[in-house]
Amino acid sequence: MRKAILAAALLAGGWAGGSQAQVLQIAVDGSPAGLDPHLVTAFNSFQVVSGTIYEALTAIDRNLSIVPGLASSWTVSSDGKTYTFQLRSGVRFHSGAEMTAEDVASSIRRVQSPAIGSALASRLAAVDQAVATNPTTVTLTLKEPFAGLLTALAGIAIVPRTLEADKDTLQRAPNGTGPFRFVEWQPNSFIALAKHDGYWQSSRPQLAGVRYSIVPESQTRQAGLGSGQFHMLANIDAATALPLRGRPNVQIQDTLELAYSLIGFNTSKAPFDNPKVRAAINTALNRAEIVQAALFGAGVPGGPLSPALKDWAVDVAEFPCYRPDPARARALLAEAGVSQPITARMIVLPRQDIRDIAQVVQAQLGAIGIRVEIVNQEIGQFVQDWRNSNFDLFASTNAGSIDPDDYFFRAFRTGGSTNVYKYSNPELDRLLDLARTQGNQAERRATYAQVQRMIACEGPAAHIAYAQLFTAHRTTVRGFEILANRSLLSLGQVTIAP
Amino acid sequence: MILRVAGQRLGDLALVMLGMSFLVFAMIRLVPGDAVAIMLGANTEVTPERMAALRAELGLDQPMLVQYGVWLSNVLTGDLGRSLWTGRPVAAEIAGHVWPTVQLTVVALVLGAGLAVPLGCLMATWRGRWADGLLRIVTVLGLTIPSFWFGILMILTLSILAPEVQALGYVPFSEDPLGNLARLALPALALALPILANLARLVRSAMLDALAQDYIRTARAKGLSERAVVYRHALANALIPFVTSVGIMTGYLLGGAIVVEQVFAIPGLGRLVLGAISERNYPLLQATILVITASFVLINFAVDLLYAAIDPRIRA
Repeated sequence: MRKAILAAALLAGGWAGGSQAQVLQIAVDGSPAGLDPHLVTAFNSFQVVSGTIYEALTAIDRNLSIVPGLASSWTVSSDGKTYTFQLRSGVRFHSGAEMTAEDVASSIRRVQSPAIGSALASRLAAVDQAVATNPTTVTLTLKEPFAGLLTALAGIAIVPRTLEADKDTLQRAPNGTGPFRFVEWQPNSFIALAKHDGYWQSSRPQLAGVRYSIVPESQTRQAGLGSGQFHMLANIDAATALPLRGRPNVQIQDTLELAYSLIGFNTSKAPFDNPKVRAAINTALNRAEIVQAALFGAGVPGGPLSPALKDWAVDVAEFPCYRPDPARARALLAEAGVSQPITARMIVLPRQDIRDIAQVVQAQLGAIGIRVEIVNQEIGQFVQDWRNSNFDLFASTNAGSIDPDDYFFRAFRTGGSTNVYKYSNPELDRLLDLARTQGNQAERRATYAQVQRMIACEGPAAHIAYAQLFTAHRTTVRGFEILANRSLLSLGQVTIAP
Repeated sequence: MILRVAGQRLGDLALVMLGMSFLVFAMIRLVPGDAVAIMLGANTEVTPERMAALRAELGLDQPMLVQYGVWLSNVLTGDLGRSLWTGRPVAAEIAGHVWPTVQLTVVALVLGAGLAVPLGCLMATWRGRWADGLLRIVTVLGLTIPSFWFGILMILTLSILAPEVQALGYVPFSEDPLGNLARLALPALALALPILANLARLVRSAMLDALAQDYIRTARAKGLSERAVVYRHALANALIPFVTSVGIMTGYLLGGAIVVEQVFAIPGLGRLVLGAISERNYPLLQATILVITASFVLINFAVDLLYAAIDPRIRA
């Protein structure tokens, strides 16, 4: 009898995926609003669904390069307007259905559909048609060449074709092809994922599941990691991570973020419509000092693109205004011929690091005679004022993108969807349009270098800094890799040592 | 008599809830910030058309009074509406969050009120001695330290003294009774401390009042033991103000639970309200406040009935 029980226990252990298989406990700070990968816009949602529940045709690896995802390979026509994707075979949705080219084509149509209203639609604006040529081949035809397509596709989750016109189901009951399947969501409490047994990479995942506990208070999350109740605090800032340094059984990984802090100008209002004034402000800012004072030294001064994007970013040493020089800044203001003193109302995103940055900026601009009035707002008010360009200056942060087009085009092109600066520069527009059509990587890089030089000092935003991003986890957690775009993709390969 | 009082109170309840619902409805809409703008986020591709479409879909394009009328008539027919963000019925969201708060509040109330009586009595009998002085200082501290701060302090202390103890979050009682109580201990203590301090001071002064009365002298003259004098004669008379305060404190507990739940990661009504405010989730917020208001009024109603049980003069 005892032997039988032992055998049953061993069997059960084997069935659960080996005696090592455990549930990874992650503590996160906020509850997601929904889980539909095409509809959600908040990071709280992305960290639950992307790379874990859902996958896309392409993926972004740790070097931020494009690698195959659900497409095993692809070819691009010589005119850059036709992409043909070969799909992996044996990929199954969590519901059990096999993923085919129809699902891919329907997912792309779903994102583009005005009735669904996906925020990702603009990333696929260049796509004219998505056609399933045969069950394992998908052909995308473009209206015009779009060099950012492969990067954009990495953000388009593949969902079952049956849900093409359904706006509600996936918000609460996700169904993807990723290493983990959705099990349960208790609002304000936790979200539970379990191993997807039919996952196409047979050795993955190693974990029995992932559980996201929603813990709003950072000190509580820290204490929970210390006690071992949580295995991981993913993608945290320096203020939360640095106190954990040196705690027993806790390991900290860090990387430079894609997200950046910035001061935005309303270029439809004097004197910020004057490029010389914007250059003066950029020259007055001491970014190294801001990093020290507001980011605990955990970050680097940055230009329009994150230094993490090694292929694209221009070294900030090449921007003349990045050498702080109050005297030169004052001279620029005098040259601009604007009436002084300048007063400006700066709205501030309600996040501690941004508030701290705003205060240092206020002091540094005060030194060249610009009086900044800081307006601390609650998030709803901030979003509304930001969207309506109801500000002289704003201090905020943006998530950042892997492909420069994804950021520059919507933010800085005339009429761009997040061009709250009301900035318009025909020469910049021409370059941004040109870069979209450049299939040659070196030419495209040269164009974006020109773009960066053009906006670094006189553009509508003063880019401040790229912060260091941290993930703290128990030393028993193996195989986790922190990524600059905050993706938790590597959870598929994580194990927990006993 | 009781019936008439009860009927009157229920009428009051309806009035209070109606007024409250209008206040909440108006206030959350007067606060700057727009539900649709928040839903679509600050860093996404959003066109004015999309915002308008979503606004129409949610019925937020109607004049405010019309929205209130629609909402009120739905509530009167038992339909609390749907959460703007998750699309789930508001009643289901509330039902999913109500038990942790009820449990937390009840445990904190039992802890606070239960300990306040013996503590207050001890302070009264020790009046003027050093122990009384010390306890009075402690109660002032208890009154002035905010619950959430005390909570964080306890979490940090625990993480240093006993780093392996896992006492955060919430597990339902039905799943793991011991784990449930263990996890409620710290938050309940944090929540109970201010009311314990408040009630203990109240019991102390009420007891001192009672102990100075003629009937106490009479009781002592009869040769009753000091214990019988204090607990049977004095305490019984000191309980009326105590019971009133307990009713009011329950309202305080519901408010305090909001921050304490935040600190200890307990998925209760407080988290729901806080989230609903920052999301401008109007239907969810309105219904949750309605539920909290109703329970506050009902508790005070129950307290009024308790008077009758305690004080024969009211029963007459």
